[in-house]
Amino acid sequence: MAFTIRHTATALTAATLALCGSAIAAEKTLKIYGFGAKSGVVGIFGQQSEAAMQAAANIINKNGGVTLGDGSKAQLAIEYLDDRCNAEEGINALRRIASLNDSVVAVGPTCSNVAEPAFGILQKKAGDSSDSGIQFPLYTDVAAKGGLASISEWSFRNVPNEANMYKSLFEWIKVARPELKTFWGGVEKDFAHSNFTYKVIEKNAAANNLQVLGASEWLLNDINFSNQVREMKRAKADVVAISAHPFTTCGVLKEMARQNVRPKMIIGLTSSSSMETLTGCGAQAQGLTIPTAFAPVTDAAKEAAAAIQKINPKYNMDLHNAAAYENIFTLKALIEKQKIMGRPDTLTEDREKMRQGLAAMQQTEGLLGKVGRTNDREAVKPFLFVQAKGNDWAVLHTPAQ
Amino acid sequence: MTATDWLDLTQSWIDGVMFGTTYALIGIGFTLIFGVMHKINLAYAAASIGAAYLSLLVIELVPTPLVYLFSAFAGGLLGALIYFVCFRFIPIKSPLATLMSTVGMLLVIEELMSHLTQGMPQNYPAMLTDIGLEIGDLYIRGDLMFVFALGAIAMVLLNLLLKRTRLGLATRAVAQQPVAAQLCGMGIDKTNASTFIIAGFLGGTAGAMVGAAIGVLSPLVAMPITVKGLVVTVIGGLGSIPGAIIAGLLVGGFENIFQYWRGVTERDIYVMLLLFVFLVFRPNGLFAPPGGRD
Amino acid sequence: MDFYFGLAQVIGIHTLLGFSAWCVLQTGQVSMLQGGFFAIGAYSAGMLTTMWQWPILPALLVGGLLAGIVAVIVGFPALRVKGLMLVVATMAFAEVVRLGFFNLTWQVSSPDGMIGPDGSLGFGGIRYFPSNGWSTLEVCVFIWILVAVVFLVLGWLDRSRAGIIWRAVGEDELAAQSVGINLTTAKVSAFGVGGVIAGLAGGVFAHYATHIEHSNFNILLATFAIAYPIIGGLASLWGVLLAAAFVQGFLIEGLRFLGDWRSLLFGALIVVVMLVRPDGVLRRREPKAGARHA
Repeated sequence: MAFTIRHTATALTAATLALCGSAIAAEKTLKIYGFGAKSGVVGIFGQQSEAAMQAAANIINKNGGVTLGDGSKAQLAIEYLDDRCNAEEGINALRRIASLNDSVVAVGPTCSNVAEPAFGILQKKAGDSSDSGIQFPLYTDVAAKGGLASISEWSFRNVPNEANMYKSLFEWIKVARPELKTFWGGVEKDFAHSNFTYKVIEKNAAANNLQVLGASEWLLNDINFSNQVREMKRAKADVVAISAHPFTTCGVLKEMARQNVRPKMIIGLTSSSSMETLTGCGAQAQGLTIPTAFAPVTDAAKEAAAAIQKINPKYNMDLHNAAAYENIFTLKALIEKQKIMGRPDTLTEDREKMRQGLAAMQQTEGLLGKVGRTNDREAVKPFLFVQAKGNDWAVLHTPAQ
Repeated sequence: MTATDWLDLTQSWIDGVMFGTTYALIGIGFTLIFGVMHKINLAYAAASIGAAYLSLLVIELVPTPLVYLFSAFAGGLLGALIYFVCFRFIPIKSPLATLMSTVGMLLVIEELMSHLTQGMPQNYPAMLTDIGLEIGDLYIRGDLMFVFALGAIAMVLLNLLLKRTRLGLATRAVAQQPVAAQLCGMGIDKTNASTFIIAGFLGGTAGAMVGAAIGVLSPLVAMPITVKGLVVTVIGGLGSIPGAIIAGLLVGGFENIFQYWRGVTERDIYVMLLLFVFLVFRPNGLFAPPGGRD
Repeated sequence: MDFYFGLAQVIGIHTLLGFSAWCVLQTGQVSMLQGGFFAIGAYSAGMLTTMWQWPILPALLVGGLLAGIVAVIVGFPALRVKGLMLVVATMAFAEVVRLGFFNLTWQVSSPDGMIGPDGSLGFGGIRYFPSNGWSTLEVCVFIWILVAVVFLVLGWLDRSRAGIIWRAVGEDELAAQSVGINLTTAKVSAFGVGGVIAGLAGGVFAHYATHIEHSNFNILLATFAIAYPIIGGLASLWGVLLAAAFVQGFLIEGLRFLGDWRSLLFGALIVVVMLVRPDGVLRRREPKAGARHA
């Protein structure tokens, strides 16, 4: 009996050592973190971002992984924290990530109301030793309220520049649809993004021969749009622009259908060019025109759309998580270029190198083409105009960039 | 004020009042439960919307009126669930505990709705959408008329239930004098449970009506409906059903008028001021509840 | 370690918020207004340090004071309503405060451009702590010194005559009145003290988050505020601290490994705690019959 037990013990020990040995000999991992809304009303955004990041990481790992500063290869691993679109939780998540010894960069957050505080607690000017803000680079995929990256030299974004997109959209409308003369707006007033972007929309409409007759306003969880749509109906404008998120966009579109308001063109908010709008009110959203930074029109884009379906067939690629996908590839290139070592003892240097790398980028690879960078750490993404057709978004026009 | 302005004002009032039926239904539910148990069920509005979500399960299978009926039944079920989880086992002298437990329930229901639909707004069917009544330049929405009618039917049925059935008798007895009712042999727990189920039925109808009136369902809707429902209950008088009905229609109408007059950013401030006016001048609400202590 | 200091900061802020609700709950008033006072403190302290370069402590104290003054002003009309009506009235007023800040635009120019509250876009750039080189540990210690001071003050109040008066009013208003206690002074003072503490908490929050906007100060925050004393047990200030640590530390951060089940568990656990301990986790120790109270 004792003989057998001792032999079993030796065998087990040997086996364990062998496994450990093989683990030691196995590849290193470099983690890229993310944080954003994975649950709650906007939970789909974070879930799809995480899936996109994972899809990109899978492709990179299949092709050998990423090369670290010492020449060794590492596999990319993604870890995504949920902040529930809540500022306090977002700050906690960022602090948590920054306090780990294997984090050199993070992608996120999803919500603009989390991004602004998150960027606010970062060190404002790199190298300013009197500033005790966190020294950790963030590369945002979704939070799109204008101008946020300028808050800190550690915050970088890969989100569409709505000012450019709407400028281009209205310039194209002036040329392609000269018969459209009047404009009426609709804006969700209590959400930073839609409120801010509406000002951009209205400005560009006015600058392109559209007479702005006025705008209707509502709040993000309003349920009754009869007054607003009645004003709209009375104005009889050719073009109606709705700067709101899918829930109220659908509410307004349904009310417009009820009151028989049929403008010649309806324009939407960039973030509404996703499946949500089509699930909520596909029938009423037909013809809705939106400028977007993603459509499966190039080979890279189609590959990305297929890749995310492999992670989970229920997920889609849209302009939000396409940015997360692009970010992983960009970060992989930067890790190699900046010779990131990925060890706990090189943590501070790695993060600074990452920041320098992000700051020095002039151009990145996007799924629709090259993405330019601005001086205040924002992106200039190629875009096109899509229109809701059937159960999907069809490309309406690709403007010259 | 031009003729157009008067027209707009009248139209705003009509739309608002018809929409206010949904507020009235939610208000009745709150007031019913408060009248019987002297406790508030903060999860009520969320459960009503939750019932509408549950009715999404049968959307492809049955015609629209049955979808609404399913929602009502689901509401009754959720009502019973909330009673057992949040009220049945908490001692009567801990009102704060039931307040908190219903808050917990509200959070669970809201989260379940987001979780199961990934937060995406869900299309909800409405009846009579293409029909409308035109009186001169005024337009009364067909689907809102349906909501109004259904709400009215629900209120009439509730009244019949309360005045003509034994269950209704028991409910009213427990509301007025719980100890005496017990002495007469009425089971308090059974009566309370049935009150929750009845209120839940009503709530499920209200949830379906909210979905039908907007056209889409979203978890975002639960909180504002809760607040409006509570405001309606207080203005109507705690425990008074006719009060809740009238208050619901009033709040719906005035809300739209305030919006027309001062815009959407200030609208809710005025609705709250309306509440304060009532609290200052008529603290017992429009109709003081019938008899009883407190 | 930085993360834990940051988490401790959050727990500290929420503990202060809980203390403010505790004061009001002692007198038997359920106030949903603590979030509103929190907002007043946040915006005022934030504006003072950002727009007019005040040092942190005076800014926080002024924020607290302003909130306290508003609380006293609100405390008087609050006397007229009780129970559920007070809940709804304070909820409504909190919404009015939130909407007020939604509409508040007041900016001044600075070397970094225009700073100050910008209506619905919020108020960013409140970077007093990082700009002045405070480490996470230093901010954490600062917050907890504030918590300790408030704890000691409230503990002293609790043991003094004022505390006895508050608790008497909370237990039975009629009896309290019959022994000559002035209800007005008791209730309004509770409101006022609660307001000051909530304002302090808000000011700290603004500097913690560096960016605040109206949606931070919604009804959910007010619900958290009263949840802490109710879950923790009204008898004890330690209970508030425990509850804040439990909710913010365990339920929100500690359960991260559960993924999206975390949100569902959150509400469910609150329900469970209320079922198991309806009077709060740290209950009031019932005095033995005949025992003398010191």
